[in-house]
Amino acid sequence: MEKFTIELIVANRYGVLNRITGLYARRGYNIDSLNVNETADPQFSRMLIVSRGDAYIQTQMVRQLSKLYDVKEVTLMATVNFKK
Amino acid sequence: MKRSGAQIIIEQLCVHGVTTVFGYPGSAVLPLYDELYKNAHRIRHIITAHEQGAAHAADGYARASGKTGVVITTSGPGATNIVTGIANAYLDSVPLVAITGNVDVPLLGKDSFQEVDIVGITQPVVKHNFVVRDIEELAFILHEAFRIAGSGRKGPVLVDIPRDIQTKLCTYQEMKPADTAAPIQKHGDLQEAIQAIKGSKRPYIYAGGGVVASGAQEELLEFSRRICAPVGLSMMGMTALPASYEWNLGMCGMHGTEAAAIVESESDLLIALGVRFSERATGDIEAYRKNRTILHIDIDLSEIDKNVPSQIGICGDIKEVLRSLLDTLPQRENNAWQQRAAQLKSTQNVSSQNNFSPKSIIETVSRYCRSDTLIATDVGQHQIWTMLYYPFEKCRTLLTSGGLGTMGYGMGAAIGGCIAMGGRQTVLFTSDGSFGMNLCELATAVSQELPIVVVILNNQSLGMVRQWQTMFYEGRYSQSTLHRKTDFAALADAFGAIGYKAATLQELENALQNAPKVGPMVIDCPINIDEKVLPMIPPGGCVEDIITS
Repeated sequence: MEKFTIELIVANRYGVLNRITGLYARRGYNIDSLNVNETADPQFSRMLIVSRGDAYIQTQMVRQLSKLYDVKEVTLMATVNFKK
Repeated sequence: MKRSGAQIIIEQLCVHGVTTVFGYPGSAVLPLYDELYKNAHRIRHIITAHEQGAAHAADGYARASGKTGVVITTSGPGATNIVTGIANAYLDSVPLVAITGNVDVPLLGKDSFQEVDIVGITQPVVKHNFVVRDIEELAFILHEAFRIAGSGRKGPVLVDIPRDIQTKLCTYQEMKPADTAAPIQKHGDLQEAIQAIKGSKRPYIYAGGGVVASGAQEELLEFSRRICAPVGLSMMGMTALPASYEWNLGMCGMHGTEAAAIVESESDLLIALGVRFSERATGDIEAYRKNRTILHIDIDLSEIDKNVPSQIGICGDIKEVLRSLLDTLPQRENNAWQQRAAQLKSTQNVSSQNNFSPKSIIETVSRYCRSDTLIATDVGQHQIWTMLYYPFEKCRTLLTSGGLGTMGYGMGAAIGGCIAMGGRQTVLFTSDGSFGMNLCELATAVSQELPIVVVILNNQSLGMVRQWQTMFYEGRYSQSTLHRKTDFAALADAFGAIGYKAATLQELENALQNAPKVGPMVIDCPINIDEKVLPMIPPGGCVEDIITS
């Protein structure tokens, strides 16, 4: 299965990480890597979540994440193919 | 002016137009109940027999009125008892605000008496939930709760308010209700939809709860007439069109009508309006999609392409989208397709094994009902029979648990619906199995003097389970035959209601003639244990697999 990365801007408060990982868990998608950082504005955090799935799963995850109250922005990161 | 947390809750409920709440007091909500006592002239509180009943009543209240229902319970078991009710509202997109008390903030997370993490427990079955840890946030959170519950695709929101937050003081500034017309993610091209409709020879509409939620019954009727498309309904959409409309083919799906299944299979364009393509409605998805274009219109973008891939997906409020389509689409003529649908509808016949059958019982009761009578059901065979045989004419006259399929939903829902509509005539179709789950709420209907007629289709078994065991488990009736000796008529009397037993249509009519204007009545109708819900398309099947006898 293809790896994909979703970038989220979320409210920086307790419980938010749980709501987001819960959404992945309920659908049985493993999170390969997870990165959370407070942004320059401490009200928000940026998350990078790497997971696996086809186009259907990727679209569903973006749309389901967009519905969460604490999620402000969702971006499906383009797969980068870069060689020097 | 400083107000207590409990006073702020009352003010916020009033600002949001709440006049009735359902609930059950307990130690973690005593400050709030003290304010409810002082504000009884502003907010009517209905005490139920069990918190689950209160949650279903708030749900029934919301479905009947279109307003957001409110349920209030204490912490711990009070909170966990409404989880089924919240999940039920979530699966059927019913706007609900649940307020639970909790232990004082310093005691949170210490396994205190009657403490549970209700926010954690309900997380997968709410649109959102909040814990109020700071009284300064209370008014805003309640404001948000009502905004979230009542906007976009509606649903439940839970607000957990520790007891000490209810007693603390802070400055209160009134927060008026938000405009609930929340921005909807724009998606899809209306022009593509118009072209598909114009190019279709045999269009078919599959309409659901989204039509009811957006109040688009008139637009749907006009749309169906304009493009000459027969309509099949999901269970949640049963009141989206009058049953008497010649192109309303009734419910579609596993237990739907044969006419809907055939027309659907012969269509070249399926226009899905406010539905989520439950597997109970589609059956085998490949067969479902074959040979037709699917145009899906829904308010929730995540529903587009979730269960059934569509060629054209449009995200928006059903009423607005239909109005835009009606602005452009010309009147069509399509006699052959029209006649085919009308012919299939007219030849719909369902056999009943004896005279006192579910069909004849429901038809007899329906003759006693008015077009605005509220019909509640529980879950199982009697529920499907109600969908097949009861002629729903007006929107929001049906209270039924579609997505979660909650046995025991009906009694609470009937109470909530009846109260929401000012004591309007209400009928609950239930069964001995379902009624047995929450019959304690009969006490609430008695204390509130509600004119609810409870019709028990009593087959001495869990009928739907038995039907599946007959069809798919070679008649091994594991735990579905009840062997109970409950006398429901005597039980009704014991509750202070009126009880009847009717074994013939004449006895049923006599009982209905005596239905009280004030207070509930229970009619126990014994039916054959082997009555089946037919037609039926087996799980994962398609129209070719339909079982009609």
